[in-house]
Amino acid sequence: MKKTPIVLALLLLFSMLLSACGGTDNKGDSSNSSGDTINLTWYYPVNVGGEVTKVIDGYAEAFNKEGIEVNGKKVTVEPVYSGNYDESMTKVQTAVKNGKAPDMAVLLSVDLFQIKDSIIALDDMINNDSEAQEMMEDFFPGFMLNSQAEGKTWSIPFQRSTVLLYYNKDMFEEAGLDPEKAPTNWDEVIEYGKQLTKDGKWGIELPATISGYWIYQALALQNGDGNLMSDDGKDVYFNTEEAKGALQYWIDLSKKHKIMPDGVLDWNTVPTDFIEGKTAMMLSTTGNLTNVKNNANFEFGVAFLPGKERLATPTGGGNFYIFKDIPEERQLAAMEFIKWIAQPERAAEWSIDTGYIATRQSSYETPELKEYTESFPQALTAMEQLEHAHKEISVYEQGKIIKILQDAIQAAINGDDVSEALDKAQEQAEELLKPYQ
Amino acid sequence: MNRVINLSTHVLAILWALPLFGIIYMAFKDTKVEGFSVTIHNFIEAWNSAPFAQYYLNTFIIVIGILAVQLVTITLAAYVFARMNFVGQGIVFLLYLVQIMIPIELLIFPNSSTIAQLGIYDTKLAIMIPYFISAFGIFLLRQTFKGIPYELEEAAKMEGCNRIQTIWHVYVPLAKPTYIAFGLISVSGQWSNFLWPLIITDSDSNRPLTVGLAMFAKASDSGAQWGVVAAATLFVILPLLLAFFLFQRQFISSFMHSGIK
Repeated sequence: MKKTPIVLALLLLFSMLLSACGGTDNKGDSSNSSGDTINLTWYYPVNVGGEVTKVIDGYAEAFNKEGIEVNGKKVTVEPVYSGNYDESMTKVQTAVKNGKAPDMAVLLSVDLFQIKDSIIALDDMINNDSEAQEMMEDFFPGFMLNSQAEGKTWSIPFQRSTVLLYYNKDMFEEAGLDPEKAPTNWDEVIEYGKQLTKDGKWGIELPATISGYWIYQALALQNGDGNLMSDDGKDVYFNTEEAKGALQYWIDLSKKHKIMPDGVLDWNTVPTDFIEGKTAMMLSTTGNLTNVKNNANFEFGVAFLPGKERLATPTGGGNFYIFKDIPEERQLAAMEFIKWIAQPERAAEWSIDTGYIATRQSSYETPELKEYTESFPQALTAMEQLEHAHKEISVYEQGKIIKILQDAIQAAINGDDVSEALDKAQEQAEELLKPYQ
Repeated sequence: MNRVINLSTHVLAILWALPLFGIIYMAFKDTKVEGFSVTIHNFIEAWNSAPFAQYYLNTFIIVIGILAVQLVTITLAAYVFARMNFVGQGIVFLLYLVQIMIPIELLIFPNSSTIAQLGIYDTKLAIMIPYFISAFGIFLLRQTFKGIPYELEEAAKMEGCNRIQTIWHVYVPLAKPTYIAFGLISVSGQWSNFLWPLIITDSDSNRPLTVGLAMFAKASDSGAQWGVVAAATLFVILPLLLAFFLFQRQFISSFMHSGIK
């Protein structure tokens, strides 16, 4: 009678796995704050390519050497990559629910209403700290719009952007246009676009996936003096005349004026099309500056978004949040780290490495950024456009409502009636927002 | 007629392989040079951006760990459903089948809270545990076990085998093609698992390859840098690709036997 060694071996392996994996890596929050160090956990998303993780690790290393103390305990930080913005949000919410909240996280500035219950308002901390006050006053006011709600400040700008108009100067010249003059209003876009569209090359491309709603918001802001939502995040205005006109303009670019390819254009391929010279102009985020700069083998310019009733762009990007379910000491430590990373020089460096706009006004006085913007003036345009910046759409039920809006935009691009699509979106969004009113 | 079939298989095979060739081409192409060019710069950049060596090791441990435990659990459960009679057998089996239809993403919240209660947040074990039992594997193996003549089990009993020995000496050898087919599905599925490991772990020492890949593939603020993305993708798929080329024959014949396509 034979034994069954392999079954036994497998069972042994199973029990080994259970004990080995369970035992060794047990480093919960308790051990993090014990002793004389505070080791902060920082969830951060990567939205501009993998090399950024190296930059972040470099910051953490530099900060840990700094020896900043809170209550006599040394503060260190451990950055944790948490996917893109959506995945970061899921990770944060899961962690909070399981009592494993990180100390701080970078999440979309517009996700405020979704996590307001899990984070702290920062006003008390700022009021007791002159350095923090100075920092808050130095941020571009445009970037603070999405941080504030109900008279309180909930987050601190970190990786911020706006929409920009990119144009191919070589193609402008070929078409007999002045390469130093980008279109400044909607009519000029159409006029220029008609001259630029030829030989299978397009005048302009507007992406409609991923952050397409954001591009659309820019058009809607330009087309009137309102926004797509109320400041308290409880109302949306998707079916106003301005909003409908903006979407009609988008669709007319391809259907009526034939200067943009038909159909829904993908967020990630529009910059590729631009770099490959398939389109002469595109609307995209400032985050693309570095990518276009590194990969385009032609002269390109960036400009303010062409206006209609006014010049306007929404802001975008991610802010720091500090969490509620952690000891006060750790919250103070988190603030110390945020103050450190938001120093003008570091904000300048971050801007140069990523293409995001430096969040602090004094960053543009630093030698590094001055030198950089001299050799690459395009980076200044994004910053200058901030005076026309408006609040990015941020509401309760953010994820669902953005999806409703995005679906309406794509449906209209694919041939649905503009007015009906937006009326329907408005109706659905109102239904979702009812419980909050 | 045979010729047409033959030709169309070749055409289909080429069509199917096109994305793969595309990835290889992009990974080796220098984006700044027009026309044809070869560079390994993309690979260096990708390799240096994340601890890929560590991620490789973790992925191997996770994938093999899950498969090892799954093989034990599905064998025992499949035998129970195939050969033993008990009250409520039908209902219990039905509940197992229903699990196949629930996407694991829906279970992230409940699973993570179990993991938190067990105190194993941020461990490799936390990544593996939810997959230790595979309803699909049980279903597959039960069908195979049912097809094995009962007389063989009786003969084993006559020889004095107990139950475990019967399973080991009679059922397991006869279901080998099914095991290989299931193993392939399990490994390739776990290899590409991303969201759950991302959410349940924090440290690089526990995270798999897919997390490294995501750093490149999800750069929606900067437009995709296809060269680096393709290079990182090749890192991730290479071991699976090699394994498949090496064991192609066994894989295909076991799929034929087990009847999965």
